[in-house]
Amino acid sequence: MPKQQDQQERLSLRHILQEFEECADLTQREFPEIGAYIVYFSHSVDNLLLINQVLDPLSSLKRKKDLEQLLCESQFVPVTDSKTAVKGILGGGVAIFAADSVHLIDVFGPEARSVTESETESIIAGPHDAFVESATTNISLIRRRIRSSHLKVIHCAVGEVSKTDVYILYMKDIANLDYVKDLEGRIRRIETDAINDGGMLSQYIEDKPTSVFPQFLTTERPDVSSSKLVSGKILVLIDNSPTVISAPASFFEFFSSSDDYYERWVLGTALRLVRYVALLITLMLTALYVAVTSFHYEMIPESMLLTLAESRNRVPFPPVYEALMMEFTIELLREAGARLPTKVGQTIGIVGGIVIGQAAVQAGLTSNILIISVASSAIASFVIPSYLMSASLRVIRFGVIILAGVWGNMGLVFGIAVIVIHLCGLSSLGSSYLIPVAPMRSRDWKDVFIRAPFFALVTRPTQNQTSNPIRQKNRK
Amino acid sequence: MVKRIAAMLALVLLLTGCSTDQRILDRLGMVQTAAFDSTEGGKLLVTASIPVIDPNTEEHREILQAETDSVKEARLVFSRQTDLRVVSGQMRELLFGMDLAEKGLWKYVETQLRDPSVGFSVKLTIVDGKAGELLAAEHKPHADTGRYITHLLEKEASGNNIPATTLYEFSRDYNDDGIDVIAPIVSDGSDKVRVSGIALFAGDRMVMRVPVKEGLIFALCRGKLKRGEAALDLEGQSGKREVAVFSSVTSKRKVKVHRLPDGRFKVDLYVSLQGSVLDYTGQRTLKEEADRHELEKEVALSIEDKAEQLIRQMQQKKTDALGLGQYVRNSLSYKAWEDMDWREMYPEVEVKCHAKVKIKDYGKYM
Repeated sequence: MPKQQDQQERLSLRHILQEFEECADLTQREFPEIGAYIVYFSHSVDNLLLINQVLDPLSSLKRKKDLEQLLCESQFVPVTDSKTAVKGILGGGVAIFAADSVHLIDVFGPEARSVTESETESIIAGPHDAFVESATTNISLIRRRIRSSHLKVIHCAVGEVSKTDVYILYMKDIANLDYVKDLEGRIRRIETDAINDGGMLSQYIEDKPTSVFPQFLTTERPDVSSSKLVSGKILVLIDNSPTVISAPASFFEFFSSSDDYYERWVLGTALRLVRYVALLITLMLTALYVAVTSFHYEMIPESMLLTLAESRNRVPFPPVYEALMMEFTIELLREAGARLPTKVGQTIGIVGGIVIGQAAVQAGLTSNILIISVASSAIASFVIPSYLMSASLRVIRFGVIILAGVWGNMGLVFGIAVIVIHLCGLSSLGSSYLIPVAPMRSRDWKDVFIRAPFFALVTRPTQNQTSNPIRQKNRK
Repeated sequence: MVKRIAAMLALVLLLTGCSTDQRILDRLGMVQTAAFDSTEGGKLLVTASIPVIDPNTEEHREILQAETDSVKEARLVFSRQTDLRVVSGQMRELLFGMDLAEKGLWKYVETQLRDPSVGFSVKLTIVDGKAGELLAAEHKPHADTGRYITHLLEKEASGNNIPATTLYEFSRDYNDDGIDVIAPIVSDGSDKVRVSGIALFAGDRMVMRVPVKEGLIFALCRGKLKRGEAALDLEGQSGKREVAVFSSVTSKRKVKVHRLPDGRFKVDLYVSLQGSVLDYTGQRTLKEEADRHELEKEVALSIEDKAEQLIRQMQQKKTDALGLGQYVRNSLSYKAWEDMDWREMYPEVEVKCHAKVKIKDYGKYM
């Protein structure tokens, strides 16, 4: 049997060592009494497991016969081709080379960050744990919340070089299997060298990658993820990233936060409304200032006219340049604050506050009222719970300001119209991005624009196309 | 896609290349009040008050004057007098001199209505004397006379006694059948501006004035009052003058039209008034219900009396400022109304006023 011999030849220790040539981090040990070799990466195995499962048993053996017996135990998986052996070693396994067989044992346990609080999506009341980089930990965080065998996990590997683990999670009987199939297909079709983050992955599988708007919701909160799962959405976890994708997503989902549900419904409703107002403010307030001060002086109320004109009086630039300059400064500050360590970041805040606050006005660079409007729109943009959405809106804002500076209110309305038209054209996994507004699904509104009391939230969102739309029994 | 974006950018640049419709706030001279007078030469004297924005100057406003033939021509003349671009989009007040009002205002009002930047809520006021002089005059505690007059009238109108007339109301009443225009009159009282009456128009000409004292009677006859204040003079039993001051006055009026056998119209004007008595200088003790009823009747009588007198004067001047014609019109077929010359019929109408007064309470004390 020359063919089998060839394969055996290829799966020899020598061959594996050849594969890992110049990998200084590879560890190999010999057990001469029993003629066994083990090969593994010490940084991706759990030391305790390694000692208990591999080192101790092997070193206690005296005869080759005993080794054969030991390897019959089920945790030792026999391997016949070298590709699997390499993959196993890379995945945190130990390859045991006996005289005539090769076995793999999984003792995966790399260094990992422990579960900590989320920094980008922190809430006041509610669970504070957040996903970490390890996908298995993340799945365990979700399984801990959903103790159901209906929670299914599909595994794929993405990245021709990196072979990153990607897991698709869905609830059988709740999630729409067409969506699952579509999503799985999209993920399997990705052909690239490496994907490093959930946010990056979502851009590979979006319906319209050129759009400014994120078409999948990303979160790093396990409580959000599990609530998305039970509402019929599909989660995509990617190893080495705390970012979890939830699909399909609608535009309005980005404006809800998990603590809407943990607080009283009145408060939750009020906060949601505040966020939609924040959306309008962040998109339009500065643009409105520009439009009004450069075109529509008629719109200014009498009592505000003099203060506004007075504050504009010393500014040498037309309002549109003034506004763009200030918005740009705010973006500089924000970006600088995000990059710097916290301690230095505070200094930036103070310096920036003085520069764009009092000093800019006193120097006659901008007007007071513009500062107020720029600051409120910056603050408003931070109110939006999803960082991706708020960043997108901040970028769009510049376009709207320019349009307002060129065509006044008409430009402003034109800009908003373009945004709305664009949003109407977007889809998420083929479902409308603007659902439940377009197409109109008034039943869903009570969990979109307001957060109705729980007894009223009987059904799952229409967008999820679930076969099981009733979430709970209506108590009232 | 790239092509489309490029085309869009090009469009933006091309369309704005020669943009001239920008009106940057701090480069505008925003006329707050415009005053119109006729001059002896038959021309129009336009005075405009523009607030001065520069915080470094003592001046709060700039007065521009131009003697022209047309209203809008004045703006061109103004432009030559100031470094700002003169615009009328923030105008709040139009003042017309008495002589101009007597000649007719419609053509000036029409010009304003035609300008899209002039709002419908711009107030229109008649000035006893020369409007330009009043506007240019300094009224010490008030830095800006135009603004002062605007606020004065706003406040007065909210107390219901003197109606503030906006451009919208002027043009509506002017163009409507069966009602005539009214406007408040202000006059210069040396250091103060005073509201001094109501101007009643026939067509677009002012023909009569109602003094402030009778403003309340006029307001009661013209329509609803809400939360108004009223001081009513009564001829006391002993012939002595007595005053009853009412507050929180709400009133309603109802109009009924009958046709008399001789073809004339008879109009019954029902005025009902409710209020609490704040002050009463007469003999009666308001504690007694019977006394209060007597007072109610007395006040009602006095209102009826004065109202009928006022309406008679209006009939003589042929101004139907109460809008009685509208009720007559509504009682007729369209053809009958069209065939009738209301302005000629109006003086012949027999108007009877029926007043009903109710004293809700007489103050919170006791």
